[in-house]
Amino acid sequence: MTKQRSNNKAKSKVSVGWISWVWLFKFATVLMVVGVVALVYLDAQIRHRFEGYRWSLPAKVYSRPLELFKGQQLATGQLDYELTQLGYRWVEHAKAPGQVQKTNKGIAIYSRGFRFADGDEQGFLVEVSLQKNTITDLRQPSGASKALLRLEPQLVGGIYPAHNEDRELIQLNDLPNGFIETLLAVEDRNYYTHYGISPWGIVRAMWANIQAGSVVQGGSTLTQQLVKNFYLTDRQTIWRKLIEAPMALLLNIHYSKDEVLEVYLNEVFVGQAGKRAIHGFGLASRFYFGQPLSELKLHQVALLVGLVKGPSYYNPQRHPKRATKRRNLVLSILAQQGLISDAQKMQYQGLPLDLTEASQVSRYPAYMDVVRQQLQQNYQPSALSSHGLRIFTSLDPWVQHQADTAMAEQVKKLNQRHGKIDGLQGAIVVSHRDSGELLALVGDYNGGYAGHNWALDRSRQVGSLLKPVVHLAALETGRFSPVTIIDDGPVSLPQPDGTLWQPQNYDRKSHGKVPMYEALAKSYNQANVRLGMQVGVDKVLQQLRRMGVEQPIPAYPSVLLGAVEMSPLQVNQVYQTIAGNGFYSPLSLVRQVTEANGLLLSHFPFAVRQAASNDATYLLQHEMRMVANYGTARGVYQYLPKQQQVAAKTGTTNDQRDSWFAGFSGQHVATVWLGREDAKPTPLTGAGGALHVWGQLMQHLAYTTYEDIKPQSVEHYYLNITTGKTMPNNCPNGVWLPIPKTSAPSFNTTCGY
Amino acid sequence: MYNNQITSCKFVSLISLVIFLGACAAPGYGPIVEDLSVQARVSERMSVLPNNVSTKAPTNTTVVSPPPAPVVTAKPKPYVAPKAVVTITAQPISNQVITQLATQEDTPVAVQEASLPASDQAVVEQLLTEADQLKAQGKVTQAVIQLQRAQRIAPREPKVYARLAALQLSLGEASRAEQLALKGLTLVPNKKSYQYYFWKLIGASRSNLGDSQGEAEAIRQAAKYK
Repeated sequence: MTKQRSNNKAKSKVSVGWISWVWLFKFATVLMVVGVVALVYLDAQIRHRFEGYRWSLPAKVYSRPLELFKGQQLATGQLDYELTQLGYRWVEHAKAPGQVQKTNKGIAIYSRGFRFADGDEQGFLVEVSLQKNTITDLRQPSGASKALLRLEPQLVGGIYPAHNEDRELIQLNDLPNGFIETLLAVEDRNYYTHYGISPWGIVRAMWANIQAGSVVQGGSTLTQQLVKNFYLTDRQTIWRKLIEAPMALLLNIHYSKDEVLEVYLNEVFVGQAGKRAIHGFGLASRFYFGQPLSELKLHQVALLVGLVKGPSYYNPQRHPKRATKRRNLVLSILAQQGLISDAQKMQYQGLPLDLTEASQVSRYPAYMDVVRQQLQQNYQPSALSSHGLRIFTSLDPWVQHQADTAMAEQVKKLNQRHGKIDGLQGAIVVSHRDSGELLALVGDYNGGYAGHNWALDRSRQVGSLLKPVVHLAALETGRFSPVTIIDDGPVSLPQPDGTLWQPQNYDRKSHGKVPMYEALAKSYNQANVRLGMQVGVDKVLQQLRRMGVEQPIPAYPSVLLGAVEMSPLQVNQVYQTIAGNGFYSPLSLVRQVTEANGLLLSHFPFAVRQAASNDATYLLQHEMRMVANYGTARGVYQYLPKQQQVAAKTGTTNDQRDSWFAGFSGQHVATVWLGREDAKPTPLTGAGGALHVWGQLMQHLAYTTYEDIKPQSVEHYYLNITTGKTMPNNCPNGVWLPIPKTSAPSFNTTCGY
Repeated sequence: MYNNQITSCKFVSLISLVIFLGACAAPGYGPIVEDLSVQARVSERMSVLPNNVSTKAPTNTTVVSPPPAPVVTAKPKPYVAPKAVVTITAQPISNQVITQLATQEDTPVAVQEASLPASDQAVVEQLLTEADQLKAQGKVTQAVIQLQRAQRIAPREPKVYARLAALQLSLGEASRAEQLALKGLTLVPNKKSYQYYFWKLIGASRSNLGDSQGEAEAIRQAAKYK
């Protein structure tokens, strides 16, 4: 034992120095290992995140592009409006994309070019000659005349992921002149020479701050700022402080300065729009100026760069004074550093902020709602919110603008005329007559909508709007024509429960024997019920189904007077079929979907299905033109020029709970509904309410001729308007109406009055 | 002790190796400002594709790969939109139908197309020509898109319906073609050449649909306008 112990002792005595050296070595090794492991870990992390990182790019939703071609009819003010919405700037001489100029003949536009689903449209400079809102020529500077050009579409919304980050990716070569210089002058002067961190930068920033008496510069390099934004949470923790510098160093080692900068430009947070977080300078430029980044002038660049320090504090929309001060400070820094002259500084400081006039909150909530619904049938939510898909829709910004305006202004007037109508709501649907594309949707009378989309979500009784369907079913049988005489005497029909149904006319009078067109024009209930009963309620419902109304509807006679609940969208679908010569085409709003790089994923081919014969539909269209020229809808001519032909129908439900108006012009089909949220009675009839909204809307849409294509099977006759009998052309108060050749009326030699 | 030292040394060299390998494995600098996720992997790509195929595009789409240089994902700069990066060369879903029809020598479509009168709108003629070119290049989807553009610009131009219907028939969409031709008929009550053309097309569509009675009626109608 002792021997052993002493032996040990002796041994340990000998190796004291050696052991402490071992321990030191071990300790150092462990430290090194920990350090190296940490570095390896951080390194892997950085490379993984930097290269593998994919920004979730929300799907971008675009409006239809404005097509420019000879003969194109525009509405008054439309071109100016659309150019403003697209962020075009009016200048003396248009010489760069995004500029427009008034000329003697019209407008010179320097467009930006755009990648459409069907290929690239190059930017162009073209003079658009206009005569009374019609394009008469498109001429390029070379003198060449172009047949067709299109402007870029408007970005009308996005489909955002849960975290609501929105951005528009840019590359270094998208930057306008002076951008990098300005950014670096303010945020990181030695960016291109430091190693990711810059102790000297911190000292200089402190000195600058002391000189200025406030914090004008931050000490972090752009690389550090990116590390903070990109990899770390916002919380100020010691761990974060500890790894920020090594991560910045590593980032600097692995990637070129330009690569890091490019990521920074896309990552930086520059504002908040409601729930939507604006990231990157690309989107910031759209958001604040309505222009692509490449078009910005130095005073705008200075504002964007200045925003980095505090996007909400310097929010130029909310705090224009602060923002101006900050921008001018940035410009001063540029002058201090000799990047611009003092004269330039003064010049730029004197400029306004130049923010976009177009509102940046979603202007199309109802429309976007339907786009989202349609896309969700075809795409997974994650694909929509993160893959940067491009959605091309048929939304027409001008029509939408006019629909919103008509609703707001007319509802205001109605409230003035009738005293405030509590909870008055409204909806508008507008589609293109022959393609069935949805051009505009108003889902709420305020335009801004919270929850309910009255154009889609709510079905209300349609009242007399159903009468054209009764007439179509009648005309389809071949046994009726617009001049068939119908008895408008009192109607009494037994109901399943044994009681009698005795609908009355609106004026509570009977009008004797009337021609069919008169029954529609004056919306006589008794005559229309009698007509419907002769055709058969089931036949009418079959006709309605063929026009796209698929919900089960019990075949009661009350259906004939519109005891059927439909949404404004469904009503528009039915009227679309009438406007489309009897061909049903499903209302659509997504034209194409492409990937972020332009690869076409899907498109929605135009399809039609015959739902009624062209002959019968043609006769009905003319009956409905009579409704507008002479019947219950004639009030629309307060708004429209007499020569503009429209076909329409009013609708009023029991106790005036719903005020409807639906119809079409040469190019547009539109449906308007007004009513109370709680479905209580209103002071409004179809003609007293919805008609005015419809009239104002149509008044401001491009005027297009109503092209009337007469089928061979019918002939137009000059008729006595009240009797529906033919009469000589020189008789007063006559009307030209089509009648099937098979039921040609005998010719009368007297006027019959 | 001795063993321990060896272990430490091993450990250190292992770490150096890791670092070395790590450095070696560092990938080259690719385009970084781009969301490649939709192009990345087949499995991911699938999730982007429509669940319900209302499209002619993706299944056997030929993708002309963009050059390895960064692909423009944001809006292209004006005037410099690179043509080479246009990746849209969608092919029809069924090449069979195309080949089959192309070999049918006397398709009414092919015979008659030329004899239809020119549209009085230059812009329509331009779009129709473009659509023809696209179709000739096999870009049928693109051709359909151009025709629909023409239809929006000139919604009552029968020639647009004639082309749309013919194209749909060539795609094997006989029912769609028949309906488009029927709608086209409503626009040409006094134009014999069109009436003949549309009825021939309706006949061909109905024949494809196996509706021999309907076909006979269409042939009878067409004969009236020959």
